[in-house]
Amino acid sequence: MSFESEPSLSPEEAQEQVDAAIEQNEVVLFMKGNELMPQCGYSKRALGLIGQYRDDVATVDTLEALDAYREALEEHSGWTTIPQTFVDGEFVGGSDVLAELDEKGELEETLTA
Amino acid sequence: MDHEEVETLIEDGIPDATATVSRPRGVDDDDHLAAEVVSPAFEGESVLDRHELVYDALGEHMTTDIHAVELTTKTPSEAEE
Repeated sequence: MSFESEPSLSPEEAQEQVDAAIEQNEVVLFMKGNELMPQCGYSKRALGLIGQYRDDVATVDTLEALDAYREALEEHSGWTTIPQTFVDGEFVGGSDVLAELDEKGELEETLTA
Repeated sequence: MDHEEVETLIEDGIPDATATVSRPRGVDDDDHLAAEVVSPAFEGESVLDRHELVYDALGEHMTTDIHAVELTTKTPSEAEE
């Protein structure tokens, strides 16, 4: 569902955005779309899972420059898939990791560490 | 890449693994896959580390040949619960 519009960010700008967002927020979700209009099922699911325990999640819409954001995120997590969640600068995972942590009763602790 | 090929990739990449790949969004959607992977290699590993083992097995295929795969990882004993 990602439309190939002209990316509005250069790779360097995307890297700066990613670095700053991870550093300045306790919980940040790099997703497709935004909190009001998630554009992908996994992103929506991640929002819902995090929203159970945190109401201060910062979101970044990677659709603005998807490939640049994938590369920038890979520097931090080693992954290029979206969504990606970071807590206190630490990579937590995508929506399936969040779901599995929740199933095991470990998500709250992970998100509020 | 169809779901059987994904199963083989995962099973070849993780010791004693059994992978069951499904298509939660319908048989004609080979883009959004789901995979349940059971292996003793997950014993004592965090959820993230388990998923990383699977992503390593999938290697360069992620986001290229495989758009998205939703993972569930279990040890044999967890699978029996």
